[in-house]
Amino acid sequence: MNETPPTNRGHLSRRRFVQGSALAGFATFLAACGRSATSVAPSVAPSSAPSAAPSAAASAAPTATVAPTPKPTMSAELNFANWTYYMDVDPNDETKFKTLEDFKAEYGTTVKYPENIDGNDSFIGTIRPQLVAGQDTGWDLIVVTDWMAARLIRLGWVEAMDLGNMPNVVANLQDVYKGVSWDATDDHHVPWQSGMTGLGYDEAKTGALTSLDALWDPKYKGKVIYLDEMRDTIGLTMLKLGLDPSKATVADCDAAVAEIKKATDAGIVRAFMGNKYAEELKSGNAVLSMAWSGDMVQALLDKPTLKFTIADEGGMLWTDNVLIPKAALHAYTAQVMIDFCYRPAIAAQIAAYVNYISPVKGAAEVLLAKDPDIANNPLIFPPPAILEKLHIFNGLNEADEKYFNDKFATVSGLG
Amino acid sequence: MGGFLRRHKRVVPYLLLAPGLLWLAVFYVVPGIQMFMTSLWSGTLETGYEFALSNVSNYTQALQRFWPQFSRSILYGGAATLLTFAISYPLAYTIAFRGGRYKNLLLFLVVAPFFTSFLLRTVSWKIILGDTGILLGPLKDLGFLPEEFRLLATPIAVVAGITYNFLPFMTLPIYVSLEKIDKRLVEAAEDLFASSIGAFRRITFPLSLPGVFAGSLLTFIPAMGDYVNAELLGSPETTMIGNVIQNQFLTQNNYPTASALSFILMAGILISVGIYARLLGTDELTAGGV
Repeated sequence: MNETPPTNRGHLSRRRFVQGSALAGFATFLAACGRSATSVAPSVAPSSAPSAAPSAAASAAPTATVAPTPKPTMSAELNFANWTYYMDVDPNDETKFKTLEDFKAEYGTTVKYPENIDGNDSFIGTIRPQLVAGQDTGWDLIVVTDWMAARLIRLGWVEAMDLGNMPNVVANLQDVYKGVSWDATDDHHVPWQSGMTGLGYDEAKTGALTSLDALWDPKYKGKVIYLDEMRDTIGLTMLKLGLDPSKATVADCDAAVAEIKKATDAGIVRAFMGNKYAEELKSGNAVLSMAWSGDMVQALLDKPTLKFTIADEGGMLWTDNVLIPKAALHAYTAQVMIDFCYRPAIAAQIAAYVNYISPVKGAAEVLLAKDPDIANNPLIFPPPAILEKLHIFNGLNEADEKYFNDKFATVSGLG
Repeated sequence: MGGFLRRHKRVVPYLLLAPGLLWLAVFYVVPGIQMFMTSLWSGTLETGYEFALSNVSNYTQALQRFWPQFSRSILYGGAATLLTFAISYPLAYTIAFRGGRYKNLLLFLVVAPFFTSFLLRTVSWKIILGDTGILLGPLKDLGFLPEEFRLLATPIAVVAGITYNFLPFMTLPIYVSLEKIDKRLVEAAEDLFASSIGAFRRITFPLSLPGVFAGSLLTFIPAMGDYVNAELLGSPETTMIGNVIQNQFLTQNNYPTASALSFILMAGILISVGIYARLLGTDELTAGGV
């Protein structure tokens, strides 16, 4: 067992790349500087002209009567922008992706798939001008985290999908993902992969933990790490206070920040970190941390006394979602692609490569036969009892988002 | 061409300066102006930005809110500069006057860590200073230190990290100015019955001041803007202004505030360097050349 290192599990988790995006983010800033102040007024044009998109789906939707119109045809190519390590590499040819090859074999569509997203803001920065102008961004599919998906939908920069084209999505999407506050019609986004935020701890030092109160326990003074992602840390704190992060209000934010401040003032919090917390847990500098499930899959392999748990109060669920940007040229093919990935067999193939949670029902069952280690890993396929305890953070409007970010920056020492 | 240059000798200096000036113009002056304009914006990424001179309040608000991080940067940067000086001067002195045939090897050793990336070097301090790492672990096991003692996530670790990372920037200029000193001046002083301490105080040290000046600027300026050490070795109580600027730019997308902060930092550095130059009387020092 020990001689064979787990294949495909040695790769970096994709959040690690978020931190490498500083340069890209700065490029976004420069791009922002380049625009004149007046040219920015967004969203009015795109949302007032919904038929501007010359896409197959858009032309299909308005003409839909009682009888379904003939299916639009598949395009020869599809442009899919995604994060690194989010698609299964072909074991026989490392330059190819098995799922995309399968898609081509079935539909004849060549998928261009550069793994070019390494930060939500930095990536959207590269296509912002087109989105503002309501033009094709060059992408048919993009993958962004909940809060960015919420922002793009709010701005009217996302095509609605025709769920009639996506029977697998309708049938196989896990229930916990349905009915998010920021996509009222549930047809502007489809979850791609998710991660849980919970407690990561060294059981040898702390014993078994079941409550978020441990994060405020003076026993672990200076040995506790909070995440530097606002939604994760505020979210877990709200759960500790018995509040619902999926309905987070400004008042909740104030309550959570006050609670976090208690821990920082008492010197309990050692640092606010991104995924570097895993190293701190491994080195013993920290014994307890807010943690992401995908990282912990890795960390557990390196240090078996580490544990990841969703506390009794609950945990957070964050998701990277696949969207069709406004005016995409191949919107119909894009929907077929998404639906293809929601076939349990394909979803299982992807899940066997990616460390995160597959939102697709039936993927675990397929894997059970092929790769029971992965299928039985509760961090990759959380059982229903755990899924029930997870919460998706509220989709904030711009003013609230700014307020939350601001308060969180202050409490985490950033003024 | 050669004939042209010979006939128009006065053009030569400008031609030689041109690449540098062009570089400065494109990568410093233009972005500088752009950043200044940005600092007077109001609005957000989504609503768009508007320029107005009245947004000079961005500056006052930034100063009001972030002065603890500003003063921390000055404090840590200053402390690290003093420490690098205290470590570098004896080091440079030894290499310059006692190095003998090992001089080049010793100089190479000073620079050697720079062959590794800045990030890696900083992260390795986490291993060395770890709570149960190779330094503190044994001391704790032997009972010399209490179990909860730590160096990481304290101001000490941050200042130590900055000191370490900027050590060569102080050592090399001091070495250069010490190395240039005419040994006969020291001998003459000793012939005139100066003690060796006296000769150092009256001859060697004053002659090495240009190196000290250059070294402390090369250390203090980047140390003040540094955020990597505070991020990797510090805690929420040790954030410096660089961390705030990074957060405002990249996490909050608050470009106006971030730009204002950058400008205040730049102004702060210029002012403190100005005072320092006045105190040391640099005009004379740099006239001697470093």
